[in-house]
Formats: sequence, structure tokens, C-alpha cells
Amino acid sequence: MSVIAPKFRLGYFLKGIFDNAFWILTIVTLAGIPAIQIVLFYLELPVIDGELLTAFLAFTWLFNPTMQVPLIKALIYSDLFRIVAFPGFGFAALIAAGTIFVERKMLAKLQLRVGPFYCGKVEGILQLAGDGLKLISKEIIIPAKADKPLFWAAPVLFVGTAAAFVALIPVAPGGWVVADLDVGLLAVFAVIGFFPIITILSAWSANSKFPFIGGIRALHQMVSFEIPLILSLLGVVILTGTLNLSEIVESQSSFPWIIFMPIGAIVFFTTMLAELERIPFDLPEAESEIVAGWLTEFSGMMYGLVQLGSYLKLYAFAALFVIIFLGGWTGPVFWPPLETEIITEGIPIPNYAGDPILTVNAPGLPLLDQDPNEWVLQQQGELQYTSGQLLVSGVIWFVLKTVGVIFFILLPRGVFPRIRLDMLLHIGWYKLIGLSFVNIFIALGLVYAGVIGPGGIL
Amino acid sequence: MSKSEKKVTSKDEDKKKSDEKAIGDAIIAAANARREELAKEALATRSNKTLPKEIKEKPKEEKPKESKPKEEKPKAAPPSKTDTEEVSLPEFEKSFVDKISSQFTGDVEVGYIKENRTRVNVKKEKILEVAQFIKDNLPFDHAESVTGVDFPEDKEIGVVYHLGSYTDPTYSKQVLALATRVPREENPNPGNDSTKLPSLRDMFYSVEFHEREIFEMLGVYFDSHPDNRRLLLPEDWADLPPLRKDFRNKGR
Amino acid sequence: MAEQVIPTKKMPPGLQVENVDDRIMTLNVGPQHPGSGHMRIIVKIDGDYIVDADPDPGYVHRGEEKMAESRNYITNIPHLERPVIHDSCNILYPYVLGVEDLVGIEVPERAKYVRVIAAELNRCIYIQYWLAIYGIFLGHSTMFMWPAGDRELLIDLMEKITGARVTHAYFIPGGVRNDVPANFEDVCLRQVNYFEKRIKEYADIFYDNPILKARTEDTGVLSREDAIRLGTTGSVLRASGVDYDLRIKEPYDVYDELDVHTNVLKSGDSYARSKIPWLDMLESCNIIRQALEKMPKSGSIRTKLKPNPKGREDEVYRRVESGRGSAGCHIISRGKPEPYRLKLSVSSFRNLIALPYLLKGEKLGNMPAVYWSLNYWPVEADR
Repeated sequence: MSVIAPKFRLGYFLKGIFDNAFWILTIVTLAGIPAIQIVLFYLELPVIDGELLTAFLAFTWLFNPTMQVPLIKALIYSDLFRIVAFPGFGFAALIAAGTIFVERKMLAKLQLRVGPFYCGKVEGILQLAGDGLKLISKEIIIPAKADKPLFWAAPVLFVGTAAAFVALIPVAPGGWVVADLDVGLLAVFAVIGFFPIITILSAWSANSKFPFIGGIRALHQMVSFEIPLILSLLGVVILTGTLNLSEIVESQSSFPWIIFMPIGAIVFFTTMLAELERIPFDLPEAESEIVAGWLTEFSGMMYGLVQLGSYLKLYAFAALFVIIFLGGWTGPVFWPPLETEIITEGIPIPNYAGDPILTVNAPGLPLLDQDPNEWVLQQQGELQYTSGQLLVSGVIWFVLKTVGVIFFILLPRGVFPRIRLDMLLHIGWYKLIGLSFVNIFIALGLVYAGVIGPGGIL
Repeated sequence: MSKSEKKVTSKDEDKKKSDEKAIGDAIIAAANARREELAKEALATRSNKTLPKEIKEKPKEEKPKESKPKEEKPKAAPPSKTDTEEVSLPEFEKSFVDKISSQFTGDVEVGYIKENRTRVNVKKEKILEVAQFIKDNLPFDHAESVTGVDFPEDKEIGVVYHLGSYTDPTYSKQVLALATRVPREENPNPGNDSTKLPSLRDMFYSVEFHEREIFEMLGVYFDSHPDNRRLLLPEDWADLPPLRKDFRNKGR
Repeated sequence: MAEQVIPTKKMPPGLQVENVDDRIMTLNVGPQHPGSGHMRIIVKIDGDYIVDADPDPGYVHRGEEKMAESRNYITNIPHLERPVIHDSCNILYPYVLGVEDLVGIEVPERAKYVRVIAAELNRCIYIQYWLAIYGIFLGHSTMFMWPAGDRELLIDLMEKITGARVTHAYFIPGGVRNDVPANFEDVCLRQVNYFEKRIKEYADIFYDNPILKARTEDTGVLSREDAIRLGTTGSVLRASGVDYDLRIKEPYDVYDELDVHTNVLKSGDSYARSKIPWLDMLESCNIIRQALEKMPKSGSIRTKLKPNPKGREDEVYRRVESGRGSAGCHIISRGKPEPYRLKLSVSSFRNLIALPYLLKGEKLGNMPAVYWSLNYWPVEADR
């Protein structure tokens, strides 16, 4: 007899299924269908191409090949898509997942072991999914004397803030960014300033000693490293004269700023490690001293959310480094040429024997161009690259550079031990701030010497 | 500590304990009987095969003896006092033991002098003075180990300090055992009975944890030790000090 | 004050109701803590500084000494190695030597060499494990994986000799339990040479690491005088500049025929304390090579004991240099097959006394570095 269902009988089981099916059918026919009809009756449907959009028409378009492409295109250019999928959360989460996989495998190779191996057959590629499922299925335990609303809010706020940070990152030319602000860099600083507050709030609301110490450490670390972080980026702002991140990238079309300000890049990279709580600066989570620091009391998916948020943050910081010092998406444009017949005549759809029976004249192609006529202009030689080509090659360059930076963020974990709080503060307040001022003076010198900037040589 | 309080506060506890003890004795007696039976059986089956008769008799006598409590066979001489009359005593070891024994004639008795190992038995009143003398005049600078031994038939508990030397290379092989005895009580009340010794912590700092261990394991209280707390045993331990001989292992 | 709450009752450590100072926070580090091992340290901190540390061992106390009183000299062997299974040969060594004294048997020459080889291999195995944990305590995950992986080489060797990976129970009074396999000399030499090459690489990633040096140098400094006064032993003592190694000072078995060097550092800080065991491993490789060369190629490996041997009425105190320091065994015998009293004077217990002394005034971040650099094994201290 099974332990889980000690009184299992197949008859009762089948009866239960039939009962459920009967009631579902009854309720849907008696209540559901009339309700849908009532809703459709009162709903004001839009008029498209002179035709009133009915449910029938909507389904027809959805399965009509000639209408699918414009629909997809409309979807791509909608705000929802930007926030949820491409330059926003989904893209960042995908890169974060890749980061976790790379981190595990790379660290394993460094430490002469294999890493995740079995889950997903190929090099343990599904290990992360398994971990996520495990976290979701675990019980969430909240300390008895915790401040419950704040404690619940902290992981959600953490992910939200990380997503807000991601939203400010431009990924490709042509305004591929969720929030294209004129004061983009200032907004980045503002969002970064939220993290220590969330950390200390969650640590304090847990009402436990080790999270409290961890929260205090995180506060020390983030607040004292935010100053060199901001100062190290000011050099670039002086040279470009703008705070808009997209314009900062555009200004690096011929050379990246890391050539002129390597000191600023080094300072920013170091502060980045500290803000991300990566080894050697993982003091707030130092496990041999304070269990897991401010994460100690989190369990189940609350912990999972914090981890997700911290990897989103990692992506965003790496992307910020790429945008400011490595030239963002700039790089040689490459684009696989589209066959002319597809655009001029359409896509032939063969039957089961391979004979083309239907040609889909797709007016929206190429899919990623903002204006379908760009392709024609390019054929005529008036336009060098269409916006779709720029988008694809820009994204590829951007991702390549970001992954490179992420690799260097992950690398210290296998090489360095953790440092101490007083050493950390000493580095932050004495060395990094001094170095970032040196960087600012270099930038000022370049501007006043007339090398870069308005009327400069370069 | 918590045990002592229980003792003082309630007499029911004592009664309960004596009851438990009676039950325990009954169990032990039954177990002994059973063991004898088993031994007999085993011997019976064995003797059919190979064993000659002399060996067959031997364990039959020994077994019940061992399993009974120790009080039945008192043994006067502690083990250490037997080896003093060796023919040729090592010179170097004898020299520094003689220094101690000549300083405290009557209070100090030489336990044994062997190669690299020496032992002096000291009366418990003089232990502080002897330790101070050793610390000041001989290069022994630390205590390696402190052993507590229970001698129920002598109604005494022995404490042996093993002293060693790091500073003087000529003494680096030597281990001087400084032994003393304290009276032992049948119903121990650690900390509040006569089982007390002065602590040697001021002379040899390294005995601190060893003395704490002996306090919890044998119930020897060390006066002037600043930190007489439990070290290894759990906080709610309320039984006899476990290294005394009348504390029995379960199933043994 | 606490008296008003609970008038007369004196609570055991850790449960005491204390006069609460707003500045002082009491932390229970362990026994369920990634940075404690099987023990608890009650740490009081003022800001980032430790004002008081009270080690509270006993979480894994098993009463080995009491158990030894009811078992005979042979059946005591497997359970007496349990306190440090990673260093099981060395923790068993003083007991075996003491029983040989009491029973009065001689050990064959070849067995002595086999014992030295097994003891040195086991010392390396222990130190590798200790080093791995030291690495992860400092947040250096590579230093956890490398020693844990390289340790397998020697574990394989020990498995070839004894048949068990960690709990060998190999030393017995009168020699060793069984002979080494046929081509053991070649295999051992090859693996030890490779092992030495590997552990020399640890300097690159760990001991010469600037962050590690900055972090552990000048922390938890134990001066020479204090090291002697506190009676510390082994690597802690030698890191403080005291040249005291029992393999040289009181050679047992065949250590006097081998060329043994000891490693002494002067600074007495956590860095020196963590480096001494590593240097010891390199020295162990030398000793193993010498012993392999000098070992008689054939001969008996064990003197036969009578069944159920009885010790004479005497007491012995023998000590050897284990992976952590001097391990002593005090056996009082009364002519029975069982010891009357058996006391293990282990180095972890002796080094523990330095922990509250060193932690006072240290920063909280230094706690794992100072604590584990004492070469402390909680199970051994509890026994």
C-alpha cells in the first residue's frame, strides 16, 4: 500500500475525474459561454482596415500568414515587449542564467573538478532550472519576531530595483532601451543608491543577529564604495558632455574611453565588485564569519528572488562598464544578406511533396527594420545599413563585450580570499577616491589641452 | 552544579535515585546471572569439540568476578608505587627528583624514576608549594596533561600533572609527573564536598581547561580556579561524574 | 541585573542571563555554523571587535576514555582512532607505544619503518584536510578544492596498505596489522613525488597571495613566551619560534635514524601558523622517501601477541608528534587485560586554551583565520 495515498482505489479515482469533467462542462456551458457572449456584446471593438474586429476576424488574422508578420512587428515595438522581453527583464534574466552556468563550470575547471554534470545530460545545463524548481517548492520560513511586511517586501524590492537598473541600460542603436532618459547616468546612481537601503531594511526586519551584522557590513561597503563609483564615471561625463547613456555610447564610435581613462575603468571595476558583493568583497555574505550575512533568514523562493536580483545586478553593472568604457554596441556591422526574392516576391510555402503551393507575400520583411522601405533604400545605395542590421550586429557586439566583462567579474572568486572590513574601507576611502580624482584631472587635462571635446583633435 | 542544587532542595530526588539504584543493581545482577549462564553454555558447547579441561575452568571463575562491583577486591597499593626499587636509576633524572625530595622531605615521595619519565607523589596540602618550587628552580614550564584517576578502594581520587619543558633543551625529553590524592566521597556533590584541590593555574597556566575537565569528569573542585564550569559535558548533566568507577557504561 | 530575574540559580555557560550592555552583542558561533566546526564559541563583540570569546567544546564528546576502561588492549584500537579519523595512525601511535611498554614486546625493524611511512602519509592526509577547511574559512574556494582533491592520492596509498580509506586501525601493539603490498615502494615513491610537486603549487595561489598575506599577517599574534606559558604544541608552538618537535626531541621508533628537519617561524601570527603545516607536509615527503630507502626489504612486520594480553602493574606516558602537535597517552595498568585508566592528552585540547586569549581584541572578520590556524580539530578535543 502506498504511503502517500493509503486508501487509494482506482474506481474512486476515475469517479473523481468523471465528476470533475461533468461539472466543468456543465458550468462552462451554462455560465461560461453566456458570460463570454455578454462581454463580447458590450465590448467596444476597434475598426481595422474598415472592418470591425470580431473574435472571428481576430482568429483569422492570427492564422493568416500575411497578417502574422505585422502583428509580431507591432508586438516587438510595443512597450510591454521592451519591458518584459528584449532590452528589459527577460534579456537580462537570460544573460543572468547564462552567467550562473558559466560561473559554475568555469570555477569547476579552475578547481580541477567537473561541476554540474548530470542534470540535463549535456554538462549539467539544466542544473539551474532544477535549483529554481527546488527553491520554488521549498517552504518559506519567517523568523517568529521578524517585521513581516518589510521582510516579505525586501526580496521583491531587491528584484524590482535590479530590474529598474536593467531598464536604464541601452542595448542597441536606435533607442533599444526601456527608459531612454536624458539623465540616464544620474538615474543609474539613484537606483544604485537604493540597494543598501533594501539590504539594511531586510537585515533589520529579520530580527536576527547575523543578518543584522551582515546588513551593517553591506551598508558600510555600499555607501563607502558608491562615492568612488560615481567619481570614477565623472571623467567620461566631462569628456562627452552628456549623461544620456545612448549618447555616451555614440561618442565612442571611433575609440572606447578605456584608452584615455584606464584608471577610471580600474576604479569602477573594483567598486563594481564591491557593490555586487563578489569575492574578494563578499563581506556581507561571509559564510565562515556570519553564516550567510543578510541572507541568513531567507528561505525558499525569497532567497531565490534575492539571488535572481543579484545576478540581474551583475549583468547591469557589467553592461554599464561596457557602455561607459568599452564602447557599448559599437563595432563592425555584419549582417547575413537576405535573399532578394524573399523580399520582392514573398516566402514560398511547399506542400508535403515539396511543390510550392502558396507564396506568402510578407510586406513586413525584413522583420527587425523599423521601416520596411529601408531595405529598398539600402539597395539603391542611399542608406548604408538598415536599422535591423544595426540592431543585430549591435546586440551581438554588446553581448560579447558584456560576457567578457562578466567573465572578469567571476574570475576573482577562484583566485582571491575574502578581505576584511577595515581593509575594505581603507581601500574605498583612501585609495579608490584618490584614484578617481586622478582620473577626473586626466579628463579635465584632456579637455583643456584640446585633445578631446569641442574643437579637439580627436 | 545543578545536581548539587537538586540534592539540597529536595529529598524526593534522593529517594528516587536510591530507588533507581536498586533497580539498576537488580538489572546488573540479572545480567550477571544471564552472562554466567551464557558462559556456561558456551563452554559446554566448546568443550565437546577441542578445549582441554584447564582452560575450560578458567574463564568460568573470572567472568562473575569482573562483572561484580569493584569493592569486593580491595587493592591497597596504587600502581605507581611498585617500580621504585630498580637496580640502576638514570643519573640525570635522579638528580632533579632528588632536588625536589630533599626540599620537601616527608611531604614528597618519589613514585618512580625511569628513563625520561619521573614521578613524585605529593600530599595535597603541599601541592602548591611543590609546584612553585618546580616552576622556580627547575626548567619545567608547562603542563602537558592532567589526568584524574579514581581509586574507589582507597577512597581517594588521584590527580597527575604531567609537566614538560620547552625552554631547556636538556630537559626536552623529560616528563615529570606530579601526583597527588584527594579524598573521595561516596555521594559526590561536586564543588561542595571535601574533594577539593588548590588550582595550579597560577603556576602553570596551561592546566586551565584540564582542571575544568577533571572537575566535571571526576568531581574534583579546584579552589582559586576562576572558571569552574562544565567544559565537555552537557549543561543538563545531573548524574555522577562520569569517569568515576561507579558510573557504569550502559551494557557493560 | 540578572539576579532579580533568576535569584540564585547559576546557569551553565551559554544560558546565563547576563547584564546586557547596549554596546555588546553576544554571538553563538556554532555548533551549527559554517565557521565553527563541531564546537561553539560564545563571542561577545563591541562593534567589529571581539571583547570576549569563550570556547564551549563538548558537542561531539563520546567518552573515549571511559570506553577504554572496559575494553581490552586490542579492542581499544579501533575506537581510540575515532577522535581524528583523518590522522588515525598518529592518534593511535602513543597508545600503541604505551601498550608495547606495558606488555613488554619488541617491534620488528621493518614494522617500525612501515609505521613511520604510514604515520607520515597520514599526517599529510590530515594536513590537506585541515588546509582545505582553512581555505574555505578565508573564502578561498580553490584552496578548498585543490587539497581535497590531492588528498586522494595519499588516501589511495593508505588504502593499498591498510585496506581502508580513512579509518585504518593499522597500528597494533607489536607492529602493524598487515604487510605492505608487493610493489608498494615504487608506487609510493611515484605518488609522493607527484604530491610534493602539487603542494608546491599551493604557494602560488594561496601562501603568496597578497590579500591573504595582508589579511592574516599580524593577526592573532602569539608571542614566544605566551606560547610556552599556555602550553601550546605542534604547529602553533613552532610558528611562535619554539623549536620543539617530538620526532627530533624524543625520537620514537626509527625517527632517530632518519634525517628529520623541523620548521620554525618567528612571527607567531595566523599566517605563520597556517604555513607551518604546509612546510611540514614537504618535510613529510622527505621523510617518506628516506624511510622507503632504508626500509628492510623483507622481514616480519609484527610480533605475535598472546590473545588478550595483560599489561604489568605500571603506568606509562608516551607521546608522539601528530599532525597537530604532541599527542600523549597516559595508561595506568593494574595487571588486567583492560587499562585501569587511559588518558589521551591531545594537542587540540591543549591548543584550545590559546583561542580566547588570541581572539580578545581581534576583529570579527579575523575570527575564522585565528580559530582555524590553531590547527584545532573539535572532535579530537572532545574525545
